[in-house]
Amino acid sequence: MSSITLENIGKSYGRGIPAAIGNLSMEIGKSEFLCLLGPSGCGKTTTLRMIAGLEHPTDGRILIDGKPIVSVPEGIFTVPEKRNMGLVFQNYALWPHMTIRQNVEFGLKLRKIATAECDATVDRVMTKLGIAKYANRYPAQLSGGQQQRVALARMLALNPSIILLDEPLSNLDAKLRLEMRAELKRIHAEAGSTIVFVTHDQWEAMTLATTIAVMSEGELQQVGTPDDIYERPANRFVAEFVGSLPINIIEMNAEQSSPLLGWLNTLLAHFGLSGAPVASAGIRPEAVRLGSLADDQAAQCAAGRAAIVDVVPTGGSWIVELDVDGSRFFAIATENPHRAAGEIIHFWVERQHLHLFDQEKKRVAL
Amino acid sequence: MRVNSADPTLLLSLLLLAVFCYLILAPVVLLLADAITVHFADVARSKQPLGEFTVYYLRRALFSPISRDLFWCPLANTAIISAAAIIIAFLVGAPIGWLLSRTDLIGKKWFSTALLVPYMLPSWTFALAWLTLFKNRTTGGLPSWMETFGFTPPDWFAYGALPIALILALHYAPFVILLFGNALKQFDTQLEDAARSLGARPTVVAGKIILPLMLPALVSAATLIFAKCLGDFGVAYVLGVPVGFDVLATSLFRAISTSQAGASAVLAGVIVVIGTISVIIDMRLLKEAKRFVTIGSKGAMVRQTPLGKWQVPTVVWAFAMFAVSAGIPLIALALTTVMRVPGSFNLDNFTLDYWIGTDLGTTALRQGILLTGEFWLALWNTVWMVGLAATGAGVLGLLVGYSVVRSPVRFVSVGLRQITFLPYLVPGIAFAAAYLSMFAVARPPLPALYGTPFILVLAILADQMPFASRAGISSMMQLGRDPEEAGQIVGAGWFRRMRSIVLPIQRGALVSAILLPFISGIKGLSLVVVLAVPGTDLLTTYAIRLVDYGYSQAANAVVLMLCVVAFTGTMVVQKIGKSNLSDGIGAK
Repeated sequence: MSSITLENIGKSYGRGIPAAIGNLSMEIGKSEFLCLLGPSGCGKTTTLRMIAGLEHPTDGRILIDGKPIVSVPEGIFTVPEKRNMGLVFQNYALWPHMTIRQNVEFGLKLRKIATAECDATVDRVMTKLGIAKYANRYPAQLSGGQQQRVALARMLALNPSIILLDEPLSNLDAKLRLEMRAELKRIHAEAGSTIVFVTHDQWEAMTLATTIAVMSEGELQQVGTPDDIYERPANRFVAEFVGSLPINIIEMNAEQSSPLLGWLNTLLAHFGLSGAPVASAGIRPEAVRLGSLADDQAAQCAAGRAAIVDVVPTGGSWIVELDVDGSRFFAIATENPHRAAGEIIHFWVERQHLHLFDQEKKRVAL
Repeated sequence: MRVNSADPTLLLSLLLLAVFCYLILAPVVLLLADAITVHFADVARSKQPLGEFTVYYLRRALFSPISRDLFWCPLANTAIISAAAIIIAFLVGAPIGWLLSRTDLIGKKWFSTALLVPYMLPSWTFALAWLTLFKNRTTGGLPSWMETFGFTPPDWFAYGALPIALILALHYAPFVILLFGNALKQFDTQLEDAARSLGARPTVVAGKIILPLMLPALVSAATLIFAKCLGDFGVAYVLGVPVGFDVLATSLFRAISTSQAGASAVLAGVIVVIGTISVIIDMRLLKEAKRFVTIGSKGAMVRQTPLGKWQVPTVVWAFAMFAVSAGIPLIALALTTVMRVPGSFNLDNFTLDYWIGTDLGTTALRQGILLTGEFWLALWNTVWMVGLAATGAGVLGLLVGYSVVRSPVRFVSVGLRQITFLPYLVPGIAFAAAYLSMFAVARPPLPALYGTPFILVLAILADQMPFASRAGISSMMQLGRDPEEAGQIVGAGWFRRMRSIVLPIQRGALVSAILLPFISGIKGLSLVVVLAVPGTDLLTTYAIRLVDYGYSQAANAVVLMLCVVAFTGTMVVQKIGKSNLSDGIGAK
């Protein structure tokens, strides 16, 4: 149960090269389950490795419970082996020359824990993670999911107050992912450790984290609960990055007006938002409602008209590709629309599902 | 860049850099400097003070009345022999490479080991076998088999350019077999099929598709053979020197043994320059080759050509090649050691005297080789000196690998990588000359080393560093940072990580990084021949000494023992490790 504070952290790999991380500040509270989410190359793994001590920041300070473990201005750097954090590597980094048991007990042996206590801890952790029966095998003899459990066990054996995970679920198949997710949630609930993990996979982020920090090009874009991130994206990047099917974006300052833009203006007027400083609007496909309406109904909810281009079943939901006089627009229907290509359909959106962005691509509060 | 004071990696790298500057860079630089500074013996002749810059040696070696014998003739001979060796090696090796990689030849597995045997043994073994079979009265001594049979081989056949080129060709043909065969193996037959489907005739396919893609591998094999021939001392020494036929390596040896430090520095320098140029060409071409491979490697398909009715003639031909390149020479050598008169198959001519006899009627070596103290001393020297050097090279190679991959300071890792690679550019005999320049006198912190075993150990160690460090670098690259970082996370300090994680994981790599240099070291002659003295003889130099004294049977017996050790060693390495001979070919 420790808090982590990042203060103006910077990381650059030499003069002339753009900084990998620029001026990153973040507060990670006690027992928080935080996810660093972003596309590959956004600096999230570098940030994690700087917390672990495997990378040296070139600027700023990192504090644990208010005490600096890294401070570039003061010349403080605590080596990783003295930080007492747990880290699970993306490819697990199990030692191939040691058995599972030797892998798990290595850290305890280093700390000269008495044999009986050490054995008890190792047994407990391995049993909990269901790998006790593999104790005398070597890592190469285990499957990916089992290897990951070993990596977790090796980390948990030391009972660290801060746990760092690098893409914890990315190498697992769908079924194992669900199991592992439950496992991690349980560990978090039981031990109350502060957990920071890194992923580029929004499903992983949404399902595990209590707080998500979205990063792009070395900068923090938004910190919030999974619902915040999804429902109230702070800017266009977050809106476009999060969401299984990309969000529909309509540019307001397009040179020529189009029927789609016309519909959006009608919609804004309908919601009393005509004067808002809007440069673009985003509408998630799953927020688009579809149906055939009478004229007065259509006017009531400011519906637009579109031709159906294609209906793609994805198992349980249907992606409906719409054509609004030349502009493509996507919707997701949770019930089979039973429509054929070429048919005309109405679509509309409710006010809370409309995301508006200004010239700087920042969210416009409604 | 911030350097973590608790992490000794940088310290280790700097230490290694200092060691290799001292053991590799300094000798080579000194050698080159020796070529252009006045030596004590030549103060009067050059009319310049000691140690001053001079072109006296360059002029003497290149443009004086003796330069013809000292430099130009040996240079021409070296060129002729290398060219002939390359051509013959290709004529023999390319078809074998194709047979082994792309056909259904019977006994392919056996042939792919048997046909590489010549490379596993010292090259001059076959020179001794040649003498045993074909020498004539020009050099005297025991009769050859041919003479015993009643033929007298003419001089041009018994000595000089022809046999030297032939033996070097057969010894280095495995380069062609391996490099060309591997290139063919990686060559996607779909590329040929694509050309055929567009209507290309087989000749067009061969000329426009296969040859251009094979060219890098072929030129690479050629430059490698050239570089090896350049530094090969033993074959020319056995077959050329007795009839006054010199190559650069033997001319350098003579210059060293007659204490012409300046001239030998010039000769060694020339060998270094030519060797460097050929290796640079090779590296350029290998880069090209890698570019090609990436294009063709996706889903490569290799089709086997059925030999059909050619199966039997091909097998016979391949076996004949094995017989000529390894079987007959080795059998001849072995039989000679149990015959009083070579080649005479009368029952009373056979004897075990040369192995275990006593009170033989000779001036020296009055007993069989197995009862001779010098032999066992040389064997022991070989084992401990080469063993120590190979172990040192293997361990240092791994540490170099670690430092190169982990060093936080770029110029240190680049420097380490390049300095440890340097001996690769310096043919053995020139490297030995460099070691003489360096360690004939005291060089703090070491005292004068000439005449001690340590000059041999250090020279062999340094000479094996290119292979050892490359093996170390590649295995450290493969290992990656993760296992060590995982150790850091659970609290293991640097020394603990080295002891419990890095070294145990690299144990296999370490074993082959020690064994391969060991095998290469025990059969090496060029490097040690000028550094060994009777007290520090190795098996190779002891055999050459016996050749000099004219004790053919004894020399052959020593060489056979050496072959057994080298061959067994190679087989053991292939069995134990994933490494095989083709990995070793990249190194010396």
